Amino acid sequence: MSAKLCDICDVCTFSVNLCIENVVGGGDYSQSQVNKWTANIVERCLTQLVKQGKPYKYIVTCAVMQKTGAGLHTANSCYWDTAMDGSCTVRWENRTMYCVVSVFAVATA
Amino acid sequence: MDYQIEEEAGFVVEDVSKIIKESVEATIGGNAYQHNRVNQWTTSIVEQCLSQLSKLGKPYKYILTCVIMQKNGAGMQTASTCFWDNSTDGSCAVRWENKSVYCIVSVFGLAI
Repeated sequence: MSAKLCDICDVCTFSVNLCIENVVGGGDYSQSQVNKWTANIVERCLTQLVKQGKPYKYIVTCAVMQKTGAGLHTANSCYWDTAMDGSCTVRWENRTMYCVVSVFAVATA
Repeated sequence: MDYQIEEEAGFVVEDVSKIIKESVEATIGGNAYQHNRVNQWTTSIVEQCLSQLSKLGKPYKYILTCVIMQKNGAGMQTASTCFWDNSTDGSCAVRWENKSVYCIVSVFGLAI
């Protein structure tokens, strides 16, 4: 991973955690709110990333799941330039839900 | 006026969607959710899809995500947002289910 991408990763993990905290915080899972939460989280994360001004295209995905004991498994696979492109995944949880956010950065320059 | 028939070089959602559906059917099919197999399933689905997509021979980078969830009444919501070139890049998401499993696969294609 290039030095540029490492910067993004560190900023990413920190900003993503902050975004999730600000949007969901200590709230309980709510069927009526979850749609808004996921949309807010991805938008805020993307805004923070774009502000970095680096020559990258970004994809941000977010999954919020209620804690009921169900099993959940996720996998990502990428076909890209391993020297320039990279990703970062943040797992967050509170008492009633899990939140998994993935950021993918693809170099344009 | 001269018309040129060009091969579709863009991100074609129907082709990608077909690849995803075939891969999920072939991997999970009618099987019930099994904790010790689900790891293999997600890996197999993304790898199969990726290899079919690269065979399309288009000048694209691809990102695939696969989520498998056991059906037990839990609520789940997913969202994604992209900062890219709207004229050349595209995405496709497929939601599949059987009696005990939900599977959501998303493919993002970015033009080189």
